[in-house]
Amino acid sequence: MNRLLLALILLLTALPSHAKDPIRVGILSFATPEAVSQRWKPTFDRVGSEIDQRFTLLALTPVELQEHVAEQKLDFIISNALTSVTLKKDYGASSLLTLLPLHSSEPDGAVGSAIITRAETEINELDDLTKYTLVSSDRKAFGGFQIIAGELALAGINPFLDLKGINFVGFPQNKLLDLVESGKADVAILPGCVFESALKDGSLKEGVLKVVLQRTQKNYNCLVSSELYPSYTFSKLGLTDHKLATQVVRSLLSIESNDKEAQLGRYQYWSAPVNDSHVFRLLKTLNEWPFVTNWALLLKGSIPWVIGCFILLLLGYLHHLRVKRLVVLRTLALSAEIELHQLTQKSLYEQQKQFYKAQRILLTGEMASGIAHELNQPLAGIRYLAQGCLYRLTPEQEELNTALNKAIKQVDRAQSTIKRFRQFCQQPSVYESCDLVMLIDETLNLMSPELKRMQIVPELTLANVSTVADISLLQQVLVNLIRNSLDAMEDTPNPALAITLCEQNQQAIISVQDNGIGLSDLALSRLFFPFETSKQNGLGLGMVICKRIIEEHRGNIVATSLNNEHAQGLNITLSLPIKTHGPTIDRNRKAAHV
Amino acid sequence: MCNIYLVDDDQDVLDSLSWMLGGLGLSTLSYLDAEQFLTAVDLNKPGVAILDIQMPNMDGLALLNHLKQCNSPLSVIMLTGHGTISMAVQAIQNGALDFIEKPVDGDKLSQLLQVAKLQTLESFNRQDHAKEVKQRVASLTPREHEVMLHVLEGKLNKVIAAELKIAQRTIELHRQKVLLKMQVGNATELANLMSNFL
Repeated sequence: MNRLLLALILLLTALPSHAKDPIRVGILSFATPEAVSQRWKPTFDRVGSEIDQRFTLLALTPVELQEHVAEQKLDFIISNALTSVTLKKDYGASSLLTLLPLHSSEPDGAVGSAIITRAETEINELDDLTKYTLVSSDRKAFGGFQIIAGELALAGINPFLDLKGINFVGFPQNKLLDLVESGKADVAILPGCVFESALKDGSLKEGVLKVVLQRTQKNYNCLVSSELYPSYTFSKLGLTDHKLATQVVRSLLSIESNDKEAQLGRYQYWSAPVNDSHVFRLLKTLNEWPFVTNWALLLKGSIPWVIGCFILLLLGYLHHLRVKRLVVLRTLALSAEIELHQLTQKSLYEQQKQFYKAQRILLTGEMASGIAHELNQPLAGIRYLAQGCLYRLTPEQEELNTALNKAIKQVDRAQSTIKRFRQFCQQPSVYESCDLVMLIDETLNLMSPELKRMQIVPELTLANVSTVADISLLQQVLVNLIRNSLDAMEDTPNPALAITLCEQNQQAIISVQDNGIGLSDLALSRLFFPFETSKQNGLGLGMVICKRIIEEHRGNIVATSLNNEHAQGLNITLSLPIKTHGPTIDRNRKAAHV
Repeated sequence: MCNIYLVDDDQDVLDSLSWMLGGLGLSTLSYLDAEQFLTAVDLNKPGVAILDIQMPNMDGLALLNHLKQCNSPLSVIMLTGHGTISMAVQAIQNGALDFIEKPVDGDKLSQLLQVAKLQTLESFNRQDHAKEVKQRVASLTPREHEVMLHVLEGKLNKVIAAELKIAQRTIELHRQKVLLKMQVGNATELANLMSNFL
């Protein structure tokens, strides 16, 4: 029960305290927070008591003020005319009241700047300032540097580049008068009335310093060298409750110059806001001149651009990454392609190697066979002659009989050697199903370098025919035929090679035709004889091998000369019986040769 | 009376083979290719041809085939330097007496030639005999031919007479005429003669 009561009390006390959050007032100042508090606390204590609110006063430099406004940490602002129009422009702060300070009678002409120099220094126009070293309190101080900077800017003078020198020495302002008096600086830029105050309190002697480039200003009690601008402005920020603002304004307006608060605050009273168009003009002038650039604001203003640039850079980088990725992918694809190409090359090379190996074996076999035949003929002759002699011997010629019989035995021995040699060189054939179209394609592929060299594109007329055959042997035949054709067409102006494949009466017919030099009738009749060749380095076994292979397949090979007055060339036609039985390995080829 | 023909494209081999056979007392005629052989030789006479297989244009097997198609009584011995089984089979199927490898031994060839001679004569005679019988049959009158067919069926004269509706005597006369024209002694001999012909 007690605990519940305690919680209730806490809740009740917490609610009003929450409702009475202090009202935050930002005050632009270059002075210490104590000085600011001393000047403004009485005023806001009075306002606070009148409207039953509490105020927190924050003394802020121009930069801090802008940060606080941007972060919405303030409800009201007291700032100089230039800062308030800047905030009005950038953050929508609305001016509620303008301060009428001491020494002024008009709120719209309450602040001016004085250019103060030693009595002996001659300064008749703004241009003369360029010859001197200037001092001022702060580059952000409105009454003082900024007003004069505006005047200089209008005269086309950049205070940071065109002057002999300019130093900002800070506060208190009387320090500047000392610097000029002692000769450490030539010219001081100060708010109006500082000079007069110094004379009045005796810290400055009469006639040592003077205000130059004076302008006569009505309703202003001090000497100034510039136009006059309004003094402090009391502004409310956009989020601040307008009822609260009305209450505060009403309370502030009720303060009169005789009141203690006004005297401590060094002002006469608050007036309704004044025309601030000439302040805007000054702001514009200063903004156009980079020496008073509001860097923080510019930075904020440039954030979208920075972000834009960043995004562009990012996009550029992403593009770069993408391109890099694409390059990597393309490189991969290319290397894959190269690898594939190399594989194809390799397989073609393998195929060629296989082909040449098969050819070598076939050639060896055929050479053995050819040599055997060539040797066999004279051996047969010798044997016949020897035996003929034997038959003619008389019984008395016993010795000759023995010798001739021995001669016959020698011949038989030579022949058996030849026979064994030939058998050794022969290879068994391997029969398998064979797509003849594919065979022709592969053969042309194999010979593509030669075809390319001679710039021949074979004219193909291929029907779909398959049979059972020894593929590598048939390839030998085709290569031999095509190579012969190519050799025959070496000097032909328009070489043409035609290959046809068709089916007739259970026979696969392959014909290879060229328009080369062709063959004479004699050469044609001896085309399939071993060691007969028209080629300089030929062995004369190619066509023998072809015939042997085709006959082994129980086929037929026919050569037809096309030589006549209209055309020349050679046609070789193969016919192979079409077989469909499954692949069997014919191991009998060796034995088949008797 | 029974020629031996040698066909080979190698003159030296041809000469030496001819010389060897000469030693055995056999005379031969040599030809360098199939064409020479075909122009010079009467294919209808008995004889023995020893053919090489590998020859330009028409080879030995082709020549053998040609001889078979001409129904020649010639006996053929194939002689080759290197033959294959398929060649040998083809040769034998086409009626070659033998398929042998070069060089053939003289004694073996001599024996083979004896067989070949008998074969060609038999073949020639068979052809000759068939021709003769054909001539004899052609010399018969239609009626005699009719009667002969009945006789060959083994029918008695009176049965034939009844079937042909002629007198038995006439049949007997016809029968005698048939036996006379066909140069046989009796019906059994006639049947033997005609068994090879019909």
